[in-house]
Amino acid sequence: MKMFRKQFGNLSRISTHLQRNAIASSASSRTAEMSTNVAPALDAAALDEFRTAVANPGEHSELQAAKFYTIPVEQKKQIFTGGGLPKQYEQQIKTFTETCLMVRSPGLELLQYIKNADLTKPAVRYVLYGDNGVGKTLTMAHVLHYGALNDFVLVHVPWAPNWMKRPKEAANASGNEGFIDLPFDAAAWLVHFKNQNAQLLQKLQLKTSKEYVWSKRESTPAGASLIELIEHGIARIKYASETTAALISELKQLATNKQCKIMVAIDGYNAFFHPITRIFSDNKQRVSPDRITLTQPFLDITSYDWTNGVCILSVDKIAMTEGFMDSYMPRYLLGKEGFEHLDPFVPIHVENYTEKEFMSYINYYLDRHWISKTPPGFEKHLKFMSNMNPYTLMQLVRGL
Amino acid sequence: MAANLTRLLEHNLRNSSAATVQRGVRLFNTQQQPEANDDEEFRVLNLRTVKQQARRREIKKDAVQPPRTARMAVDQDWTAVWSGPRSFHPASVPLPLRQGYTERGAAAPSKYANAELMKIPNFLHLTPPAIRQQCEAIKKFCTPWPKGLESEAKWKRHFPIEVLSTDYCHSLPTIRHPEARRVTITLRLSDLQFDAHAKDKFLRLVGDRYNQETGVLTFMTDRCPTRKQNYDYALYLLTACYHESFVTEPWENSKSEADMEVYLFERNQAKKSAEAILNWDSKSEEKIAASPSYAASVEQLINEGENEYNIAKYKEEVLKMLNIGVQ
Repeated sequence: MKMFRKQFGNLSRISTHLQRNAIASSASSRTAEMSTNVAPALDAAALDEFRTAVANPGEHSELQAAKFYTIPVEQKKQIFTGGGLPKQYEQQIKTFTETCLMVRSPGLELLQYIKNADLTKPAVRYVLYGDNGVGKTLTMAHVLHYGALNDFVLVHVPWAPNWMKRPKEAANASGNEGFIDLPFDAAAWLVHFKNQNAQLLQKLQLKTSKEYVWSKRESTPAGASLIELIEHGIARIKYASETTAALISELKQLATNKQCKIMVAIDGYNAFFHPITRIFSDNKQRVSPDRITLTQPFLDITSYDWTNGVCILSVDKIAMTEGFMDSYMPRYLLGKEGFEHLDPFVPIHVENYTEKEFMSYINYYLDRHWISKTPPGFEKHLKFMSNMNPYTLMQLVRGL
Repeated sequence: MAANLTRLLEHNLRNSSAATVQRGVRLFNTQQQPEANDDEEFRVLNLRTVKQQARRREIKKDAVQPPRTARMAVDQDWTAVWSGPRSFHPASVPLPLRQGYTERGAAAPSKYANAELMKIPNFLHLTPPAIRQQCEAIKKFCTPWPKGLESEAKWKRHFPIEVLSTDYCHSLPTIRHPEARRVTITLRLSDLQFDAHAKDKFLRLVGDRYNQETGVLTFMTDRCPTRKQNYDYALYLLTACYHESFVTEPWENSKSEADMEVYLFERNQAKKSAEAILNWDSKSEEKIAASPSYAASVEQLINEGENEYNIAKYKEEVLKMLNIGVQ
């Protein structure tokens, strides 16, 4: 841990943030528990009608539709420390001092499919799509919570376009000519992965199947635990990208050998198929995403050639750049290649709030004293102004 | 001289008062009167020599005959009066026609010397009795209408090709018209029988002669000098294109996926993926193929473009295939 801290001393803000949380996570879990008890009473009797006490997403059903459930603080810390919740939602969580997610129909549908799916069959790919701000990321968060509680190893990329649009650093890959490494982003992802899965990896005792030679002196022997592999990647940032690739191929193999089950969740997945990135190569030309070393492992793990896994991918207009944002439909956003890569996938449309969900949300805001002025007809007004779009509603009622 | 003067004086005195007399005297004193012959008229001074003017010959015009219409019998044979196409003639048409523009309120110019009536084409030679008469005349050359071709739907089936050419009737030294040789044949594409490849190739061969919206194929030929030759040429074109479309050239097999104009499930990665998933871990030799309905839904999604309906259909098929749908 010490070495880890030393290496990260000069890292970017995000990475430092991750690291701090990672260290703090174990220590703070107890205090977190205490704070939950202090927070508004959650005993079933006092529950409002827009809340549900069923905190396990696995038990959610139509009964809980349009109701809020609370993610315990330590679980939230474990899953979403490195991202996974939209920034504004994160702020709202902080303000409301509780992590509440609404149980919505796309999430329920997705959970139903995951439960129905036969894990001995190739991994099923689910593609969440929908217009801006309808809750694709939060639907994914809901399912991630399910995965974390049900012993899935989470392979979660909070926002893939970050790698293509604003990487911390781009360096030429040492191994293969013409490829670009994103060492800091890869390391940050490894930290995120470790945060999410440390306990599970400890429990499962997963081992590498072959030896990885990083350089003349450094290597990870066959039979080393995955944690060691990850630690090495975090410590030796230069090899973080290769470590990511190794880790993912190992995970795929382990899952296929039924040693673990994996939930892949990638937000903004279509960024991997965008024609260009904002990364420049040595000859000042924009590179395409397939020339980034991080792309290939995540494409590999979203193909159908492995079992014991589910892939939840979201395609998003915002993941694209100007000129490629005409439609939110999956085929358009994925393009020909992306569609062929994912086909056959299950498209899941995330839509604006229904009437019931909208009222539930208004009640939640009122409960949190977030909407303080309630002239008659303010719900109607908000409904009209926001068109029942979740993000727009959140923006309308936000603090100044 | 003296006698003259006294006569003048006398005349003056007779007509005027004493004052006039005085003035007359003064006049007498100052002016000298020219000497004039009493009996002859004054001769006019003619400085130019006058030619002897030739007397104009009077042109003798025939008296205008009353118009022929006045003498026409009410029950005359009109087809004999106006047997063929000709310009309007006022005296031959017993109708009180008026045509042309005048100032407000006035009647339009009458038919006599009326250029407006002569300019416009008339159909006075094509009156119903005239047509009836002509039809009667050619009836003896006609054969009876074939049985079984009573309605358009019936004869369209036997004669799918429609041949169109134009005759021109005009008054020029030549009776030929350059446009008269043009022949247009049209037929519906559905009347021809193709397989998928031949249809594709045929449409490529004919290019814009095929109207996508109406499904009608049109060949227009005018490159030969006579109509007969052009007609033969149009039929030749149709026949040649049709038979050529069934020929598969060796280079046609090298058509790659990028050259495809439609997405076909059979040729694509979708089929491979679906079959790989369906046959995952199966020991048996027999491969399970993807269901035709799944194939159709993928093709529809890509060929018709994405919309809520197509994607919902695709989702339904995928769920069915992967067997994870809500039971």
